[in-house]
Amino acid sequence: MTGPDHPFAALLAEYVAECLPLAEEVVEQSLTLERAWRDGQQADDLFRPLKGTLHTIKGNSAMMGLTGLQTLAHRLEDLWGVLADEPASRDAGAALFVRGTGLLADLVRATASGPPPEGAATDYLEEVGAFLVSDRGAREAAREERRSPDRRTADRRNPTASGEIGADGAVATIRVDSRRLDALLESFGEAMIAHAGLGEAMRQLNVRRRSTAEMAQLERAMLGLDRTLKRLEGALMETRLLPIATVFSRFTRLVRDVAHSEGKQVRLEVAGGETRLDKTVIDRVGEPLVHLITNAVIHGIERPDERLARGKAAEAVITLRAVQRSDRVILTVTDDGRGLDPEGILRKARAIGQAPAVETPSLAEIYALAFLPGLSTSEQVSHLSGRGVGLDVVANSIRALSGNLSVGSEPGRGTTFSLRLPLTVAVLRSLLVEVSCERYALPLADVAETVRVHPEALHQVARQGMMTWRGEVIPVMDGGLLLGGGAAQSRRYCVVLRSAARHRGLLVDSLLGHHEVVVKALDPSLGRPPAVAAATILGDGRVACILDTGRLADGWVEPVATAAS
Amino acid sequence: MNPGTFLVVDDSKLHHQMYQLIFSRGELAGSTLLHAYDGRAGYELFMAHPELTVVFLDLNMPVMNGLEFLHRRQAERLHPQVPVVLVTTESTAEDEARGLEAGAWGYLCKPFAPEQLLALVGRASSRLSQRIARP
Amino acid sequence: MASDSILDFAAQLSHAPAVPVVEERELRLVVFRLDHEEYAVPIQLVREVVRVADVTRVPHAPAHIRGVMNLRGRILPIVEIRTRLGLSRAEPTPTSRVVVVEVAGRTVGLLVDAVGQVARIGERLVAAPPEEVRAAGVEAVTGVARVGTRLLVLLDLERVLASAPSTAPSAASQP
Repeated sequence: MTGPDHPFAALLAEYVAECLPLAEEVVEQSLTLERAWRDGQQADDLFRPLKGTLHTIKGNSAMMGLTGLQTLAHRLEDLWGVLADEPASRDAGAALFVRGTGLLADLVRATASGPPPEGAATDYLEEVGAFLVSDRGAREAAREERRSPDRRTADRRNPTASGEIGADGAVATIRVDSRRLDALLESFGEAMIAHAGLGEAMRQLNVRRRSTAEMAQLERAMLGLDRTLKRLEGALMETRLLPIATVFSRFTRLVRDVAHSEGKQVRLEVAGGETRLDKTVIDRVGEPLVHLITNAVIHGIERPDERLARGKAAEAVITLRAVQRSDRVILTVTDDGRGLDPEGILRKARAIGQAPAVETPSLAEIYALAFLPGLSTSEQVSHLSGRGVGLDVVANSIRALSGNLSVGSEPGRGTTFSLRLPLTVAVLRSLLVEVSCERYALPLADVAETVRVHPEALHQVARQGMMTWRGEVIPVMDGGLLLGGGAAQSRRYCVVLRSAARHRGLLVDSLLGHHEVVVKALDPSLGRPPAVAAATILGDGRVACILDTGRLADGWVEPVATAAS
Repeated sequence: MNPGTFLVVDDSKLHHQMYQLIFSRGELAGSTLLHAYDGRAGYELFMAHPELTVVFLDLNMPVMNGLEFLHRRQAERLHPQVPVVLVTTESTAEDEARGLEAGAWGYLCKPFAPEQLLALVGRASSRLSQRIARP
Repeated sequence: MASDSILDFAAQLSHAPAVPVVEERELRLVVFRLDHEEYAVPIQLVREVVRVADVTRVPHAPAHIRGVMNLRGRILPIVEIRTRLGLSRAEPTPTSRVVVVEVAGRTVGLLVDAVGQVARIGERLVAAPPEEVRAAGVEAVTGVARVGTRLLVLLDLERVLASAPSTAPSAASQP
């Protein structure tokens, strides 16, 4: 309600000056429509402007805080929609609509001498509500009847796909059941694996026989197949990409509801909603985001009085942002709340015996501890707990998507959670390595560099391997110890993994090159092994584990390795 | 936050006055406000003013609506450094997605409070200064 | 109840002529060998029996998981059923097979030393497991069946798989 305190109270006269002519126009047009319908005319040309005008009145009323008028205009828009779509509803609905527009004009007019009283349109709104509900069954039946019989047969024959006919008569877009897309993707994965098998067989053939004309022909055919599969992959992935906005859209409401129940003032701002991700990722990223956003409202953001005392605006802002970086999408959830408490996190981590191995851990390393199971539900860092969901659970669901979760924070200023997600979940560009006679795939996006290990560059500092790399001292882990494959031995290569916190080296026996591998989820019976994100089938038909490089780089499984040593 | 130059493209006079009210107070007092009442007139002003701090663009307008404005700007790559905020009434997710896809920098949903608009301007201008600081 | 076997119960029934004899149910079991003992699981749970392909170890997987195997493009967890039954771990031999079973909605492979024929036995022949077996803590054994001179050990696969102690990542942490 526009009280004298409303920021736009001074503009009330201006509001009437703008909206009254509009409202009167609506009355006029609705009367014309009613007449036209009575005479059996369609008068469709009148519809569109009417809707636009109602929309403007609604928007203006909303800005002025005139909620009664806003609701009335909104309800008239709903009614308009039904009348426009369903001629059968016009007999009963037209008069109702005309009456409503008259009421709207009266209320706008009355606003000149102050906002209309609350509930001025209640009776009418109830009547519209009853009309919209009571008639729905009959309306739906009528709509079904209008569809041509052959269209209905077509739908029955092929219930998973439907089409829209373009202007030239050709089908411009078709709607396909997403399960069919999944099946297509699975078949593609099988083709990729068969292709890899073919490549492996060819490699061995090549070794035995030298180049012959037949071999050259095979080689060419194989190259053609390579290219075709690449294109197929691109096209297939493209059909599966959806804008992340489809997920973001539900959070405005979530933030409002949670903020309301917590007595806080929070606004959600969204950017980068156009960023596209694979449907599977879109489907599965919503849940973790709900937890992060809910946590931010409940624990990250201070009460309005506390915020004011700290010199912040009473209303907090949570920003949800998506950006694409090469073949990754980064989603961030940022709040301008109180920030994480590094001391509290360290204290708690020590209490559960998970203190970092490093003497003076960096802030990033401390924050990474927040993802340990059992830590984020503690009281000291109650910021991180929320409705029973710990951050470890959120991190795990992100890892299941071959992504990773990191956090940054500035005390008193706010916290940012970053989710790095693959664009697609099906095919992963990866580096294949061998450690203690087992092969592992490492997502290429997380590999900063591979280097030949010079023994003199390796050091042991307090049982922690260290290596100088590009003038920086980075921790290194023995692949065998880490992956339980056998005792440390002199390994020839070091894969430098990047993470939000710092670089970290993984020592391996050999590098087997870059491969596009088909990602297969781990069976739940395997539990949640900390170092493994997924699995794949290599060219020779053997399974290889895809390592969770994000987690390795953050040193999350390091305690396992040191315990084993 | 410093005063700047803002373009308001909206077919509602009332809204122009609201913007005027908001920009006449606080830190942004002294800002220059340019007004256009439909998309086409707005686009002409936009072309002439690469120095704009933020453009507030209504979605529903006669002559050229907000989306058409954005599409043309995208096609012509006109002043990509200027953040354009799309202003809508109860937009659907699809609207938002389309707007952002068409290059809108942000979204403002009617009804909005003056503080909301100010916060958006703050973020938009800090983005600008970052851009200048790190070319 | 502890020492009462089903056989005793059946013997009592046969002395009560007034009760009509219910037709006996027949069990169809897939029989496999571990060391020198024969074990059996209901055929309804068995999807197929395949040769052992290369099994890839999964780092930090639960102890009873030997690794994973490619089963026609699908990644099949291989359960080390020997250790689940208190036997020592062994490497596959030429007679070794993987019995692919579906239990509680999950498909896993059981690595066994050899697979025999499908046995059909009357339910009446199944007796409660000997006290010693239960004392040894092998809850997965639901009964024993004597077929001629052979003794089949009947397994409850749900218990074999479900009662496995989980090695959660945190459990592997420093002392």
